[in-house]
Amino acid sequence: MIELKDVSYAYRVTDADGNVQMRPALKKTSLSIRAGEFVVLTGGSGCGKTTVCRLLNGLIPHYFEGELEGEVLLDGANVAAQPIYETAKRVGSVFQNPRSQFFNVDTTSELAFAAENQGRDPERIRRDIAVAAERLGLEPLLRRSMFALSGGEKQKIACGSVAVADSDVVVLDEPSSNLDVEGIEALRATLVLWKEQGKTVVIAEHRLFFLKGIADRVLVFRDGEVVRSLDAVAFAMLTPEECVGMGLRATDLNSVAFPAHSIDESPVVILKDVSFHYTKESGMDIPSLSLPQGQITVVIGRNGAGKSTLARALCGLNRRAKGSVVLGGETIPLSRMLSRCYLVMQDVNHQLFTDSALEEVRISVPETVPEKLREEKAREALRLVGMEEFSEQHPMALSGGQKQRVAIASAIAANKEILIFDEPTSGLDYVHMRQTADALQALRDLGKTILVITHDVELIALCADNVVRMDDGRIAESYCVNVENVPRLVSFFLNQPAQQPAVAVTT
Amino acid sequence: MQAQVDTFRITGERSILDPRVGMLAILTVSAVMIGGSITGIDFWLRLVCCVLPLLGLVALRRWRFAVVYAALYAFALMMEGAVFQLTSGAFNMVVMILGGLISRFFAPVVMGYCVMQSTTVAEFIAAMERMHVPSAVTIPLSVMFRFFPTIAEENGAITEAMRMRQVSGMRRGLVKRMEYELVPVMMSTVRISDELSQAALTKGLGGDTRRTHICEVGFRARDYVLLVLLSAVLVLFVVT
Amino acid sequence: MNESNKLTIKDLINIGVFTALYFVVFFVVSFVGYVPILMVLLPFICPIVAGIPYMLFLTRVRKFGMVLIMALILGLLELVMGRPWPVVLIAIAAGLCAELILKAGQYKSVKSCVLSSGVFSLWMIGMALPLFFGYRDSYLAGLVSGYGQAYVDTLASLTPDWAFFALIALCFVGGIIGGLVGSAVLKKHFKKAGMA
Repeated sequence: MIELKDVSYAYRVTDADGNVQMRPALKKTSLSIRAGEFVVLTGGSGCGKTTVCRLLNGLIPHYFEGELEGEVLLDGANVAAQPIYETAKRVGSVFQNPRSQFFNVDTTSELAFAAENQGRDPERIRRDIAVAAERLGLEPLLRRSMFALSGGEKQKIACGSVAVADSDVVVLDEPSSNLDVEGIEALRATLVLWKEQGKTVVIAEHRLFFLKGIADRVLVFRDGEVVRSLDAVAFAMLTPEECVGMGLRATDLNSVAFPAHSIDESPVVILKDVSFHYTKESGMDIPSLSLPQGQITVVIGRNGAGKSTLARALCGLNRRAKGSVVLGGETIPLSRMLSRCYLVMQDVNHQLFTDSALEEVRISVPETVPEKLREEKAREALRLVGMEEFSEQHPMALSGGQKQRVAIASAIAANKEILIFDEPTSGLDYVHMRQTADALQALRDLGKTILVITHDVELIALCADNVVRMDDGRIAESYCVNVENVPRLVSFFLNQPAQQPAVAVTT
Repeated sequence: MQAQVDTFRITGERSILDPRVGMLAILTVSAVMIGGSITGIDFWLRLVCCVLPLLGLVALRRWRFAVVYAALYAFALMMEGAVFQLTSGAFNMVVMILGGLISRFFAPVVMGYCVMQSTTVAEFIAAMERMHVPSAVTIPLSVMFRFFPTIAEENGAITEAMRMRQVSGMRRGLVKRMEYELVPVMMSTVRISDELSQAALTKGLGGDTRRTHICEVGFRARDYVLLVLLSAVLVLFVVT
Repeated sequence: MNESNKLTIKDLINIGVFTALYFVVFFVVSFVGYVPILMVLLPFICPIVAGIPYMLFLTRVRKFGMVLIMALILGLLELVMGRPWPVVLIAIAAGLCAELILKAGQYKSVKSCVLSSGVFSLWMIGMALPLFFGYRDSYLAGLVSGYGQAYVDTLASLTPDWAFFALIALCFVGGIIGGLVGSAVLKKHFKKAGMA
C-alpha cells in the first residue's frame, strides 16, 4: 500500500544568471495505491508524473534538491525518513534512458547488481537470474557486453534487474520513450507478468496504447495536479477526441485519424545502388529508391532493418557505403552528399556545439554568404521555427523540443535540400509531437525533401506523404499514405496481419 | 578523440589468474625490470621477470605477439649483455638507450596487457572488494570502467555530427575545433553521470550491508605457485 | 539532501565518471607524442587539455577526498597498464597537495582551483621518473665495473637532473594554463547553460 498525503514539491533550480529559483512540480496531491494495483500516470511533459515516480523510489528527497511538504508512505514507512537503500529493497525502478541506467559493463553483473547491493547470497542470486532470464526471455542476452545491446535489449535488462531483486513495487518512468515496436511488445509482456505476480506497478508514460488491458487505473496530471482519474473501463472507452482534448497520446493505434490530404505528383530524388555491408550476410542493399521531392517520406521497419544505416549513407556520413543519388538531373556520389543533406539526430544534444542558439545557426550558414549577411540569415531561420526570442540562450539550457527546433533552424540556414530526422518524437508528449509535425510541414512548404525515421504512428498520421518500409536491409514496400494504404501501415505497428474492418466475433 | 582506451575485458571465461596475483605480477615485473641492475643476481631475477609476460601471451594464445615479444627481448638483452661491451662512443649510446628502453619498459606493459586481457571488470572489482578496498575507491573504479565505452560512444556521435555540420575541419582553427568536440562530450558526461547516480541509488548502492558478488574469485593451485615465485623474486630483489 | 562532508554515492559516481573523462583526454592527447619533436612537449600539452575537464570536475563534488581518489585511481590504472610503479606514489602525493590547496580555498575559490590544477598535473611525472633516477642509476651502476667511473660520468651528464626539474615546471605551468582555459570554458558554456 502506497500513500501520498497532501504532497507538494518544488525543485530548486539555478538559472543562467546563477539565481536560485523554486520550480513547483506537484501541488497538494493525495493518492493511495493498493498492493498489486497497476497505475498509469500520464499527462504532458512537466505535469508532475515523473515527480511522483521520484517520490516513490526516494530520489526525492534523497537525490533531488527542493522543498517537500506532506509525506509519502510505503506500507506505513515514510520514504523521506528512511535511507534510500531501504526503499530500494522494496521498490525497483526503470528509467527512460536505456544508455544511462546500467552500472555494470556486462549483462549478468547488471542483473545481479541490485541483489548484490542487498548482500544476498550469491548462490541464490545466480538461481534468481536463471529464473528471471527464463521468464523474461533474457537467456540470449546473458554474459554479453551491455554496450553491444540495442536500446530495447538494454531496457529488458533493466526490467530483468528489477525482477532479480524481486521488488514488490516497480516504478517505471517513461520506459517506452526510446523503444521501437518490438521493444514495446517486450515491455508489455514483462508488465503483464508483473501484474500476474501481484506486484504493484506505477508507470509514468506518454504512449498509452500498450497499456490498455493492463492498467487498473489511469491518472491524468496537469500542472502538478491529478485532473482526472480513470478506471480500466473508462480508460478503454476513451475516444480519440477526448485524448486530444486532454493532450494525451492515442490509446488505440487503430483509431488514429489520418487526415485526408491530396498528394501531388512531384519530381523525385532517386537513390541508386546504395549498399553497405558490415559482414557478408548483414548489411543494406537498395538497388533503387525514389523519394518524392518536396514531400515527407517516413521510413519504418523493425530494429536492425537498416533505417539508420540508410540515413547515414544518404548523408554521406558512412564512408564505406557505396552508391549515388540523382538529384535534379545531377548524379551525385554518396561521398559528396554531406553538402546536400542535413541529419537531425535522435539525441539532438550531440549536434549542438556553440554557446548561443544564434551562433549555433550562424555557423551553418554557407561560407559563400558574405559575412555581414550571415547573422541576418541565422535570425531569419530562427524566426521560421519560432525560436527568435531564445537566440541569446545557451542551446543546452533549452528544452528538448526547443533544441530540436534550433537544429532545424540550422538545417534551414545551411540551405540543404534533403533533411533527415531520426526519431524526432521519441519521448515527446502529444503537444510537442504536434509541434514537431507542424515544423516538418513548414519545412515541406519551403520545398525541402524530408525523410523521417519513426515508430510514431501519430506523427505519421499528422504529416507523412509517403511510407517506405525496410526489412533486413532491403526496401520491403513503398507507398503513399492514402485511405487504402492506412490499414497496412497501422497493422505493421500492431504487429498483426492487416485486419478486415469490422468483423464481429461472437462467442 | 579517436583512440579507444584498452582496459579490462567486459565478458568472458574466468580469468587465468586471480586478479590479485595478476596485480602482484605486474608490480613485481615493473619493479624488477625497471629498477634492477644488469649484473649479479638481478640479472637472473630480470630474466625470470621477462619470461612471465611471455608465458602470459602463450596462455592467451597470442602467438604472433609472443614471438615478437621473445624476439625483442632476445635483441634487447643481447644489446645490454654483449654488444655494448664491444662498442664505444655514439654507437654505444644508441645501443644502451635502445636496449635499455625495450628491456626495462616493455615487459611491465605486456604483463599489464596480459592481466587485463584475461580479467573481466567484474572480477577485478570483486577482487578489490575481497581485499577490503573501501567503496570510496571501488565505486569510482567500477564507474570509470563502465564509462570508457560510453565516452567512446558519445564522442563517436559527436564527431559524426561535426562532420555532418561541416565543422570538423581545422578551418575555424584548432581551438574552436577542440571546443566543438570537448564541450559536448563534457555536457554528455554531466548528464549521464546524473542519470547513472539516480539509477545506482534506486538499486540500493551504498547500503549498510556488505555487498556480495556473483562472480567467482579465489586462489587456485596456479595462483599459489605464482604467488610463491613472485614473493621469492621480490624478496631477493629487495634484500640484495 | 545530505549536506555533510562525507562523500555520497552521487559524489563517488561523479569521481568515477570524471576520472574516466580525464584519463581519456590525457590518453588521447598523449598520442601527440608519436610525433617525435612534440614528445618533449607532452608534459606541457597534456595538462593543458586535461585541465579543462578537471575544472568541471571541481564544480561537481566540492568535498574532501575527491581529487585524492581521482589521483589514486589514475595511478592504479597506470600501474595496471604496466607503467613504472612509482607513478602511484607520485600520483597520491600530487593528489593530496592539490586536495589541500582546494580545501584552503574551500573548494570555491577560482584561484585555488587553478593552482590545484597545476599541482594535480604533476601526477604525470611519475611516468618519467625512472628515466632519470631509478633506471639511470642502476644502469650506470652496472656499467662502472666494465668502463670505469669517468665514462659513466659522461653518460650521466646526458640525462641531467635539471631536465627532470624542468619537466616538473613545464607540467605545472601546463596545468595552470589548463585550469585557466577550463574556467573560461565553464563560464562560457556551463554557467550559461545552468549546468555548473
